Amino acid sequence: MACQKFCMAFLQWEFIYVITAFNLAYPSTPWRFKLFCMPPNTTYDFLLPAGISKNTSNLNGYYEPLLEAKFNSSGAYYSNLTSKTTFHCCVWSEENENCSVQADNIEGKAFISPVNSSVFQQIGTTWNIQCWMKENLELFICYIEPLFKNSFKNYDLKVHLLYVLPEVLEESPLVPQKGSFQLVQCNCSAHKCECHVSVPAAKLNCTLSMYLKITSGGVVFQSPLIDKQKVNKDEADPPLGLHMEITDSGDLRISWSSSTLVPFQLQYQVKYSENSTSRREADEIVSATSLLVDGVLPGSSYEVQVRGKRQDGPGIWSDWSTPLIFTTQDVIYFPPKILTSVGSNVSFRCIYKNENKIVSSKNIVWWMNLAEKIPESQYNIVGDHVSKVTLPSLSATRPRGKFTYDAVYCCNEYECHHRYAELYVVDVNINILCETDGYLSKMTCRWSTNAIQSLAGSTLQLRYHRRSLYCSDVPSIHSTSEPKDCHLQRDGFYECIFQPIFLLSGYTMWIRINHSLGSLDSPPTCVVPDSIVKPLPPSSVKAEITAKVGLLKISWKKPMFPENDLQFQIRYGLNGKEIQWKMYEVYDAKSKSVSLPVPDLCEVYAAQVRCKRLDGLGYWSNWSTPAYTVVTDINVPIRGPEFWRTIHEDSTKKERNVTLLWKPHLHKKSNCITSVKVVEDITLPAMEHGQKMWAITPNSLSMDRANTYCDSLAVNSIGASFANFNLTLSWPMSKVNIVQSLNAYPLNSSCVILSWMLSLSDYNLIYFILEWKILNENNEIKWRRIPSSVKRYYIHDHFIPIEKYQFSLYPIFMEGVGKPKIINSFTQDDIEKHQTDAGLYVIVPIIISSLTLLLGALLILHQRMKKLFWDDVPNPKNCSWAQGLNFQKPETFEHLFIKHTESVTFGPLLLEPETISEDISVDTSWKNKDEKVQTALVPLLLTTADLEKGSICINDQCNSASFSEAGSTKITCEDEGRRQSSVKYATLLCNSKSSATDDEQGLINSSVSKCFSSKNSPTKDSLSTSPWEIETQAFFMLSDQHPNIISPHLTFSEELDKLLNLEGNFSEGNFSEEHNDEKSVYYLGVTSMKKESSSVFLTDESGVLCPLPAHCLFTDIRILQDSCSHLVENNFNVGTSGQKTFVSYMPQFQTCSIQTQKIMENKMCDLTV
Amino acid sequence: MVITTNEYWACALSHFIHVTVIDTHLGGKMRCGFLCRFLWLWPYLFYTEAAPIQKVQDDTKTLIKTIVTRINDIAHTRVTGLDFIPGLHPVLSLSKMDQTLAVYQQILTSLPSGNVLQISNDLENLRDLLHLLASSNSCPFPRTRSLKTLEGLDDVLEASLYSTEVVVLSRLQGSLQDMLQQLDFSPGC
Repeated sequence: MACQKFCMAFLQWEFIYVITAFNLAYPSTPWRFKLFCMPPNTTYDFLLPAGISKNTSNLNGYYEPLLEAKFNSSGAYYSNLTSKTTFHCCVWSEENENCSVQADNIEGKAFISPVNSSVFQQIGTTWNIQCWMKENLELFICYIEPLFKNSFKNYDLKVHLLYVLPEVLEESPLVPQKGSFQLVQCNCSAHKCECHVSVPAAKLNCTLSMYLKITSGGVVFQSPLIDKQKVNKDEADPPLGLHMEITDSGDLRISWSSSTLVPFQLQYQVKYSENSTSRREADEIVSATSLLVDGVLPGSSYEVQVRGKRQDGPGIWSDWSTPLIFTTQDVIYFPPKILTSVGSNVSFRCIYKNENKIVSSKNIVWWMNLAEKIPESQYNIVGDHVSKVTLPSLSATRPRGKFTYDAVYCCNEYECHHRYAELYVVDVNINILCETDGYLSKMTCRWSTNAIQSLAGSTLQLRYHRRSLYCSDVPSIHSTSEPKDCHLQRDGFYECIFQPIFLLSGYTMWIRINHSLGSLDSPPTCVVPDSIVKPLPPSSVKAEITAKVGLLKISWKKPMFPENDLQFQIRYGLNGKEIQWKMYEVYDAKSKSVSLPVPDLCEVYAAQVRCKRLDGLGYWSNWSTPAYTVVTDINVPIRGPEFWRTIHEDSTKKERNVTLLWKPHLHKKSNCITSVKVVEDITLPAMEHGQKMWAITPNSLSMDRANTYCDSLAVNSIGASFANFNLTLSWPMSKVNIVQSLNAYPLNSSCVILSWMLSLSDYNLIYFILEWKILNENNEIKWRRIPSSVKRYYIHDHFIPIEKYQFSLYPIFMEGVGKPKIINSFTQDDIEKHQTDAGLYVIVPIIISSLTLLLGALLILHQRMKKLFWDDVPNPKNCSWAQGLNFQKPETFEHLFIKHTESVTFGPLLLEPETISEDISVDTSWKNKDEKVQTALVPLLLTTADLEKGSICINDQCNSASFSEAGSTKITCEDEGRRQSSVKYATLLCNSKSSATDDEQGLINSSVSKCFSSKNSPTKDSLSTSPWEIETQAFFMLSDQHPNIISPHLTFSEELDKLLNLEGNFSEGNFSEEHNDEKSVYYLGVTSMKKESSSVFLTDESGVLCPLPAHCLFTDIRILQDSCSHLVENNFNVGTSGQKTFVSYMPQFQTCSIQTQKIMENKMCDLTV
Repeated sequence: MVITTNEYWACALSHFIHVTVIDTHLGGKMRCGFLCRFLWLWPYLFYTEAAPIQKVQDDTKTLIKTIVTRINDIAHTRVTGLDFIPGLHPVLSLSKMDQTLAVYQQILTSLPSGNVLQISNDLENLRDLLHLLASSNSCPFPRTRSLKTLEGLDDVLEASLYSTEVVVLSRLQGSLQDMLQQLDFSPGC
């Protein structure tokens, strides 16, 4: 009891305290609260049993059955209540354990008494109430249900919510009046009620006051007045815009956005799951609208959901957002795209999953554009699976078609995934050119975007930073910069204007390229407006010719700005359509004029001036407007004009009109010459260039009677010229003819050459006047003054080829004009001759060229023929057996023959069965002194030779006597081959060096024709009459051109020596002893013969056919046999039948073996028998 | 005296080395003092490196001439009642020049006319140049950044805007010409 009294006393004290301290202060409504209601006149002498938690969240748990039982017991209590019994309720929340109970009716005097909530829990009923603002902030919702539903399952439930929203936000809310409450009928179903209160948007910050009336089973449960201060959203809508991406650092970034703007901060709960090789789930609460998840794996899927809740104060979680599934690729590049500038270094990283296995970073290689492997030195291993490549000093990406990037591939050794990273390298070197105007108040900067046109979707912006004074040494991009509006011009340049400007400030400017992948800055450039001034051009520019001095004076005024010292440039020239300017520079800043010499003071000159800072900074100004000189009479004219006259006689009127022709000496606008004085007493007004008719009547001036002296004076206001041209019009002199001839030769349509011949004359020739015009046309006469010393003159004019021209040459004497020489056309004969000459000049070189070519061709042909002719005769030097031998030495032959004696092989292909001859005719006339020769020949020629005659000569008609008697080279041996000899033989052509005085000594060496063209006509005759005369194609020739010492030790050399001795015998002692030692060696050339052939030995000296020495023939044949015995046999067999024969031409220096020789001799003997 | 940047640099550096060598003999206290002095000069050395003194002086004179030329066309008779505008009193020091120019700049900035904006910018540059000159002469005077509001300026501008503009430009021109003459005599701090 004491305790109970104490509690009551405490309650009383609290009650008094609340009344006094807070008066009518309403409790701030918690978000979730419970309403404990108890019948009136109930004492609070219960306490919750020990062990029952005060936490409402536990009420639904273990203790609920217990409480349920208690309320079931109290249900009986309800039935005892009278209808319309009002239960007063108190509000209990987690934050406030004390239950606030309204002691009196809400409509009546209200006061609040704080009561411990545990008391209500024992004797009353409990309602769970939850109120919140919807996301759209237009609806306030309260949700009501009984804590123990079974207590009210048999009763209908009606709930009314009464609320008031004050019009004006009040700092200290007053008690609402009774009539100000608005009633809201709540919707109840299955013991759940939901009340909706519409809240105008304007009253979001107002305090909502409300209370609830719950009617069930005739019992009214009335809540105390509840304040919902500052109506705010309490429940958020699910976040929107859920998005996932791989960050540049390789993390998974989950981002979202709040559905609507809320006046309070939200917190979010993120729930995600990773489904890869292993599954992991997590949920995190964050206050930001994004979450980074590290350890992202390729080929994984991530499912994410987010919900939101008010971070501070009451609130409930919103619904989960729609789940979003994000699947990573098998290859993850981070970053997947890079935008950078030229020269920079970038890095890519990647994770590669290949066939459900993440590739080790050690096995990852990088390729560029699938064409170039990036060197491994640029790789870095970041982790077990993350590889990194660094690309240094990048150059600009070259667009390949529509691809404006480089593709960077992360590959598993040599296998690359089709996905790639994109690398955009942009050349951002944009040149910004600025210029300050002449008023120093505006700076215009221009820049072009040509360098970065390839980067689509980018925007450009000029940004600048102004330094108070001057530029820094190295311009840099400042963190605080301002953008500048620039406008695209027609020429493709952007133009930005700064006005007004800070003249001496440093403007650091750069171009910022904004792109979805990032932004790039061009290299900054700094300019000081004062140093880039383009001044205004100098003003008040004047040009004049100074009096008396005669100089072109140009004056000007410097522009107002800049105040710096200026330099000036002056250009001047003769005024015309295309002025040839001359430049003059003035570096004196204080000078305001300059005087320049000009060649012609009577011409109009134009002059312009421009300026620039003397220190070289800035630009040249524009040229000033041109100033022109005014021509005035400054001095006496220097020279009178050139003139000429033409005379037109009118026979009917007996008048003679003289027309004066003037050279265009006088300028049209020149006032330097005001008049021309032609005749001493006649002054003509100033004339323009051209012609002026001057009528001279016979009465006043007769050229028949007098010499009229004409002098052309240039006259102006100052005086007349002194150096003048003069002309005497004299009739008698017009008959003096000194020009003998005049010829005109047209070179082309623009040039004609005139030449003339003069005769001697006593008159003093001054000069010539050359006239020309188109014949029979009265057009303009053209004329030239030619010095008297000239004999030929080139006229440069436009000549029409189809026209005829008249040329007149007037000799001008001191006494007057002489008789002209007139021609009416070009000199035709001379033209033709000239043309002929021209033709000659053309033809002769052609002929000479042709002859040269022909001669060359002949020489080449000759060489060819010679080569062909001798080609089949191999040079021993080219033979294998002759390699390394020097044929210049006689020892060579010695060794040569020794060497080849043992084994001599012949190529059978060299041999061709041919019939040498059907006849044999050996014309011999050698002396009998040489018995060796005779004895050598005898065995061979036994069959056909008449041995009885003691001569080698086989023929019956051998003229041996004459041969021997002649003692010279005149060999008269003549073949009588018609006798059908069966002996085959050849003819040797010998070029014996028997007579040094013989003129035809060397002829045989060169050709056969020469050999046969010797003066030994009988030989020719014999050849012509012989059966083989036509195809004598085998020659054995001796010459002294290649003197070789033939060794007598060898068989063949012996034979050859004998042969040479024989030749020496032919020469009958003309051969000197010295010549005996050195013999010329000739090759034997043999070709096939179709019908008949022979070897001809023709002496050099005589040029006649010589009898073939027997050794020569035998040697020939021996060699043949030695090479191919069977062919020899066949050949000789055939030879006997007269069908074929072999002609050996190869082994000139070969020797046959003794055995072979014998065999051959025997066979030959057999054959000849 | 014309001091180029390199000469200034070399002089300062040699002085520093010389002092350092002496300090090694005299002790650490003096070394610290000289070092501090050198470090105090260091920023000015860097600043003067980019802008030689002679160039700064030339630019100052040229800029004064430019401003004078800009307002050359303005002529007026004597106007009374605008006493807040600095008069034609010769200014002898750099700091006085700066203060005078600051007043002019404030008035010009207050003028709504757009054609004086350029002159106002020029004055800003001119003041920067004067500060640079002062720094080169080791004149540590603070920059007159914030001036107290001229009394009655707004009323005057509202009532007699044109007169104010003419008078301020005219007096500015005179003041600038005075400054130009003073600069030839190396004004003090």
